[in-house]
Amino acid sequence: MKRQRVAAVLAGAAAVLLPVFVRSQFALDMAILTLFYVGLTAAWNLVTFSGRLSLGHAAFFGLGAYTATLLFVRAGIPPVIGAAVAVVVSLLGGLLMVLVMVRLRGPFFTLASIAFAEVLQLVATHWRSLTDGSVGLHIPFRPGWQNLTFTSKEPYYYIALALAVLSVWLGHRLYHSSTGYFLRAASSDEEACQALGVNIKRAQAAALLWSAGMTGLLGVFYAYFIYVIEPTTFFSMELFSLQPALNGIIGGVGTVWGPVLGALVMTPLGEYLRTFLGAMQQGLHFLVYGLVLLVIVRVLPGGFMSIITGVRARNDDRGSGANERGRSYTAAS
Amino acid sequence: MTIGARARTKGGAPTLPLLELHALTKAFRGLVAVQDVNAVLESGEIVGLIGPNGAGKTTLFNLISGLHRPTQGRILLDGREITALPPYARSLLGIGRTFQIVRPFAMTVLENVMVPILARDGNPTRAKDAAQEILELVALDRAANERPENLTLAMRKRLEVARALATRPKLLLLDEVLAGLNPTEVEQQLPLIRVLRDKGITVLMIEHIVDAVMSVCDRVLVMDQGHLIADGSPGEVVRNPAVIQAYLGEEVPGA
Repeated sequence: MKRQRVAAVLAGAAAVLLPVFVRSQFALDMAILTLFYVGLTAAWNLVTFSGRLSLGHAAFFGLGAYTATLLFVRAGIPPVIGAAVAVVVSLLGGLLMVLVMVRLRGPFFTLASIAFAEVLQLVATHWRSLTDGSVGLHIPFRPGWQNLTFTSKEPYYYIALALAVLSVWLGHRLYHSSTGYFLRAASSDEEACQALGVNIKRAQAAALLWSAGMTGLLGVFYAYFIYVIEPTTFFSMELFSLQPALNGIIGGVGTVWGPVLGALVMTPLGEYLRTFLGAMQQGLHFLVYGLVLLVIVRVLPGGFMSIITGVRARNDDRGSGANERGRSYTAAS
Repeated sequence: MTIGARARTKGGAPTLPLLELHALTKAFRGLVAVQDVNAVLESGEIVGLIGPNGAGKTTLFNLISGLHRPTQGRILLDGREITALPPYARSLLGIGRTFQIVRPFAMTVLENVMVPILARDGNPTRAKDAAQEILELVALDRAANERPENLTLAMRKRLEVARALATRPKLLLLDEVLAGLNPTEVEQQLPLIRVLRDKGITVLMIEHIVDAVMSVCDRVLVMDQGHLIADGSPGEVVRNPAVIQAYLGEEVPGA
């Protein structure tokens, strides 16, 4: 326990001090992207506590990004207020997905979630009077905190760090709350869970709404980080639906820290491969990335977290508690 | 047809039955699994529910616990209509159940028992203590931190009961908690059912082990092909010609 706390403090200090020592713009960019994906994966992961797999989180991401950007570009509303409205709009999107979730299970929910994001992408592309369609919207470059626009990378880094911490903290709180117990129980058996008095639909709705709101907030951050928003990027299935899911599965779904590990490993890996192999031969980086994925999934089907929990279980077995099997029932006599 | 169902009195004043089933019918497309079942459970009774395979026993449990909506008929708990309530609401009102095939959650034994407690009081620390107490009651306390898949079947059945007990039920539906156990294990499990009686919990149990039913039940309901065909004391029921026919078939004349 103590060692964990020390490790957390060291990791926190390293994260805070990183921009002081890392001067390379490429490295800093990658750190920002990595933290961004830690946040996004942790937010996506909330839905998996109850065994649901969403491949439509780009919907909330795009809703958040578009809401804040439209408010700023069209009405001059500052991004801080825009972000609050963006979260509300993402939550409304979340409510729509809740309606789907309580009716569909397993792969049917997953397919519906994909369709949900794709439909929103089409709306953003074709509602030109509002969104300028595929031309997209540009956030005017007026540096300053009030516009969330900066001339250096460091502020973006700290905002990404804060959002990542917030997202992981949400997951930690949810996991250890009563709702977290309900969700984990429901991932084994929703019917048995309900028979025990658990209003599982409410718990699942809560998890999805937290997830949607946090994802929308990250959408706002990303819009201000890259200045230009257009439908194919901001409702991108590959970038904001599949990538968090991939990170999460590689790290270990249904855990708090697995998806964090997944994002920490997979984001830099993907970026390095794209930068260094992408120039060599088109598609080569995808090949290598794919091979790495295959190996990880084959060797560690439970994700990175299964290494940690596996070690812990073995340590526990050496103590007491493991020898209690087969004890006969005697209490009532 | 209403069989049995005499409203008993306590201290002279008539008391409301705990559970009333009125003309309960459940059809799955063409197949009628439960047909026109009327029954009453009084508070504190231990009632057996027996019948050949496919008689509709588990379907009746699913109707009472809310997993299925009846095609027709009404269900009353403490005189209150619960026919349209979802399963979790019925659990909160005091209907607990176990499943024939144990359905533990992929979490520790202690956490399994915490889930129903948390559904009533959301504080994990208090829930942990309360769950520990219930595990002691079913002699699983020393396996609290085990995963259910590491337990014996008998222990997993007790976990199933522990989880149902943690819902603080007025009425507990036990679906074959003795099935699949060897005779020694059955002997060890029976005291648990008497503990339920001592706690004032009304029990409706599906069981195939006739000795067990005879030794713990006050009353027995018999179902066959969706119908309730008998309702009476264990002694009466085993002599009932309709019951014998349901189990053994009709006598062939001249054979």
